Amino acid sequence: MTKDFNIDDISNLASIHLEEKEKLKLQKDLEIVLEHVDALKNIDVKDEKIDIHPLSKVLELREDESTPSLSHEDAMKNSPETKDGHFVVPPSIE
Amino acid sequence: MSLKPTIGMETHVELDTESKMFCSCKVVETDEPNISLCPTCLGLPGALPVPNKKAIEYIVMLSLGANCSITKEGMFHRKNYFYPDLPKNYQISQFDFPVGVEGSLEIVIEDSLHTVEIERVHMEEDTGKSIHLGSGRIDSATSTLLDFNRSGVPLVEVVTKPIISSAKMAVAYIEELRQLVIDLGISKGKLEKGNLRFDANISVAEEGSDELGVKVEIKNMNSLKSLEKAIDYEILRQTKMVQDKESIIQETRHWDENKQVTLSMRTKEGSADYRYFSDPDLPNMVINEEFIKISQNQIKETPEKKRKTLLDTGLSLSDSNYLDKGQRWLYELYLSTVKETGDCKSTFNFLTGELQGQMRKADIGELPQWVNSEKLASLINLFENNEVSFTSAKDILAKLLIEDIDPKSFASDNNLIQSSDNDEIKALVTSVINENQDIVERLENPEDKLVGFLVGQVMKSSESKVNPGSVKEVLLKELFG
Repeated sequence: MTKDFNIDDISNLASIHLEEKEKLKLQKDLEIVLEHVDALKNIDVKDEKIDIHPLSKVLELREDESTPSLSHEDAMKNSPETKDGHFVVPPSIE
Repeated sequence: MSLKPTIGMETHVELDTESKMFCSCKVVETDEPNISLCPTCLGLPGALPVPNKKAIEYIVMLSLGANCSITKEGMFHRKNYFYPDLPKNYQISQFDFPVGVEGSLEIVIEDSLHTVEIERVHMEEDTGKSIHLGSGRIDSATSTLLDFNRSGVPLVEVVTKPIISSAKMAVAYIEELRQLVIDLGISKGKLEKGNLRFDANISVAEEGSDELGVKVEIKNMNSLKSLEKAIDYEILRQTKMVQDKESIIQETRHWDENKQVTLSMRTKEGSADYRYFSDPDLPNMVINEEFIKISQNQIKETPEKKRKTLLDTGLSLSDSNYLDKGQRWLYELYLSTVKETGDCKSTFNFLTGELQGQMRKADIGELPQWVNSEKLASLINLFENNEVSFTSAKDILAKLLIEDIDPKSFASDNNLIQSSDNDEIKALVTSVINENQDIVERLENPEDKLVGFLVGQVMKSSESKVNPGSVKEVLLKELFG
């Protein structure tokens, strides 16, 4: 069964802080989820057609035409802080 | 231990469409921030993406131009990561069903042809732009400003297989790809505007080994010059580390243009870290034969085809490649001029050397409309047939660039036609021989360098009005019989 995941990595990727107690609980919950998913691996699919998307609908494309949308003022309206027409966010370091 | 470098290139090409990839906001080129936005490209909740047909046609054209197979039934994935220039917290991209797969591009390095295999060509959207306030360095910024005008602009990523073996080869590959997107008319291809942005994955391994070394990704190379320098630097850095038995870590480094070094940015994410999953907002994308045909029919020119046309005129591979990668008008002017002169080398030399040189010097950006292939061919023929000297040809060209003249009439009206009249030449030769008796006495054979000096004296006394070939002939006859 798949247990080779690290709860610290996952919380880090999801940018969600977890307390030790929560980590233990989530580790167990996720292991159960993975066990369920692992059961799917036992299904023989070698003769099945690959279904790459759950919807059978085919993507509609639009013509390359531009239309006016939000005004600058409307686009910026919900921002807590702006400067010289920009959105301001805390320093973002990769 | 002998080490060999292996390089793979990832290039982002900004497509030249009217509207963005998944919304109808206009693609704008402006310094005015946040003026072309809507709920979709701002990532507001509930907004739904609708793909741009033209962008899909363009990526199919690029895939075909790079000799790829087209994935008929593809789809979009979400690439999840947190960074403020991507307000949805995911980028719509493609994962295991890219539009183009398994292609190749023919590239030219000096006078030889090479092939670069393409792994995939996939469709995605661009992110916004961040400006870090503070000292200018990303790690000491006090706040970050965001402009989302670029957010959602259609972007194609072209990924090569790890088979590039030198910085020069990487540069030649980017030049070819850039020319391809320009010739296809799908991107402006301007590096300085960020229409083409590239990262290089570099590793070194022992010569002969089947395994690749640890891969390091280099970012922030904004020109072909910095691409070449960054790759050379990184190969040296890794080679030294391996030789010193230090271990290389898989990471992303950025090229520091001021310090001319690569610096560590962060440890590299694996694809699992991006938690790719199919975008539930976008059903399967079917690219059928008819769609491929429509895209194919829009391909009028590729650099490979242009190069073949140039090679057929007799030019060398490197000269053909030079015109292939140059400005469109020069390529067309060469082809129409060489048809009339029938001499590929002199036409190439005159147009790329003299014509381009004089235009640069006189700051002429565009060729005046009266300067056509007919006039240029007539001028090239004049000096190739020794009817005018090369100096006179240069003067005639200078005149032609500012005034609508006929080169041949101008040459005769201004007494520039060289005489092939043997009597006139003989008189000049005799007088030069008489004036230079000391030199004539030192002459040993017709190959003597001093013969050239005497020819020069005759040319000088005639003010370059006589044909140097005829002068030499008469002179040798007089001196050696």
